[in-house]
Amino acid sequence: MLEMFEYDFMQRAFVAGIIIAVLASISGTFVVLRRYSLIGETLAHSALLGVAVGIVAEFNPLWSAVLFALFAAWLIEYLRSAFSLYSDAVLAILLSGSLALAVIIVSLGGAFNNSLISYLFGSILAVSSEDILVISVFGAVSLFLLLLFSKEFYFIAYDEEVAKTSGVKVDILNFLLVSVVAIIIALSIRVVGSLLISALMIIPTVAALRFRVGFVKTVLISLAIALVSVFVGMTLSFHFSLPSGATIVLCVLFVFILSLAINKR
Amino acid sequence: MKFSVPIFDVKNLSFVVKEHAILSNISLEIFPSEYIAVIGPNGGGKTTLVRMLLGLEKPTNGEVKIYGKKLSHFKEWYKIGYVPQRASLVDSSFPATVLDIVNMGRTSQRTLFSTLSKSDKKFVHDAMQKMDILDLADKMVGTLSGGQRQRVMIARALASNPKILILDEPNTGVDIASQKKFYTLLRELNKKDGITIVFITHDIGVIADDIARLFTINQKAIICNNPKQTLSCEEMSSLYGIDAHLLHNHRHEH
Repeated sequence: MLEMFEYDFMQRAFVAGIIIAVLASISGTFVVLRRYSLIGETLAHSALLGVAVGIVAEFNPLWSAVLFALFAAWLIEYLRSAFSLYSDAVLAILLSGSLALAVIIVSLGGAFNNSLISYLFGSILAVSSEDILVISVFGAVSLFLLLLFSKEFYFIAYDEEVAKTSGVKVDILNFLLVSVVAIIIALSIRVVGSLLISALMIIPTVAALRFRVGFVKTVLISLAIALVSVFVGMTLSFHFSLPSGATIVLCVLFVFILSLAINKR
Repeated sequence: MKFSVPIFDVKNLSFVVKEHAILSNISLEIFPSEYIAVIGPNGGGKTTLVRMLLGLEKPTNGEVKIYGKKLSHFKEWYKIGYVPQRASLVDSSFPATVLDIVNMGRTSQRTLFSTLSKSDKKFVHDAMQKMDILDLADKMVGTLSGGQRQRVMIARALASNPKILILDEPNTGVDIASQKKFYTLLRELNKKDGITIVFITHDIGVIADDIARLFTINQKAIICNNPKQTLSCEEMSSLYGIDAHLLHNHRHEH
């Protein structure tokens, strides 16, 4: 099994995968508890629009994915708060709008090729050294912010209004959380793919919640599930030439089903 | 009034939704160490009033001041403890132990990069001791009874060391025995610790002997400065929408 680490691309894929597993599972806990699970799906499609622009304009699509996902995250929060629109409706509008624009842009640019497909479903072959640098730097900043404000994010997830009346700066922190989630999603689509990253964010937390333990233990269980799934998924992906994102998500789903069987309450 | 500086100073407050007045021209003051009951029919605007006091709703007209400051300039929110209506109806799958919830009471007072200090932990411990929930610290909140959850929510509010507790019908889903214990706790918090209590309730008869003043809210407000005498007043009857005699079951003798 260890021979796969003799390949540089596998080493890079594992480094990226581990960073993404950590980021997706920790941020996913706050997203799920805020009943905001669909935001991952929407931001992933906005990131895909960024990828499309990056491919057509011929620069590293990871950068444009981060920018587009961030812009979409802010737009979602703005529309939600300024126009009192239903959250799920805002997410659905941006999701389909982003995907439609992405398809048009790559079609016009004549770039509807394997490159884009790898961003839809993830590819362990596609992680470059520059990607590792971008994922590490943005990932470290995102993790730092998540941990720094974890108590506030947790309080807001518990009860936004009570948090507000206790002096927690809810509006700013809501923007910060969606921004961090946007960055994490944009970083992740290289390995997991835009259609599947939301699953890595949501399912480990939902499985961890079945154990009915306190907050810190829930985050740790979610983290462990994500790490194991990424490791096993990538290993299977290497040995059986499967798309990495889909294999990782199937592994997470398997753990989720196990958690349902273990915790029947 | 024997107190000079009000905690809340509300002037000419109105709240209108689509030309329908929820609250009209409300003016009132809440002073330190008072115990105030807020009553009124459902839909009369009690919760809306509290939400405007806390800055959760913006009034159509009028102004709310806390400790003499406009809401937008007020920073010391830890002085306000708020327990909303749905407090004891916690989502049973939310991953929180009792300690997790009470610790939240200290969240807004921590500085960046700091975890809970010794003094934070003492406030949390004292709040849990006061609410008699120390033995529940590691229990998941979702597994507790309604009465236990209610005490956890108040401990969370007390952990910030508030000067005023605002409770919006926190008895939803709580059994009668726990409610009685709860009223005793509120009395003690007010009398022994000097915490101002603003209590939205329908059980006015049970706490009539404890309260200093009574606010009846049904779009407009009538302030009864001596609730023991004014509980049967005709004004309140018409505001509350039912016969005031039904409310007159408190314990003092005439």
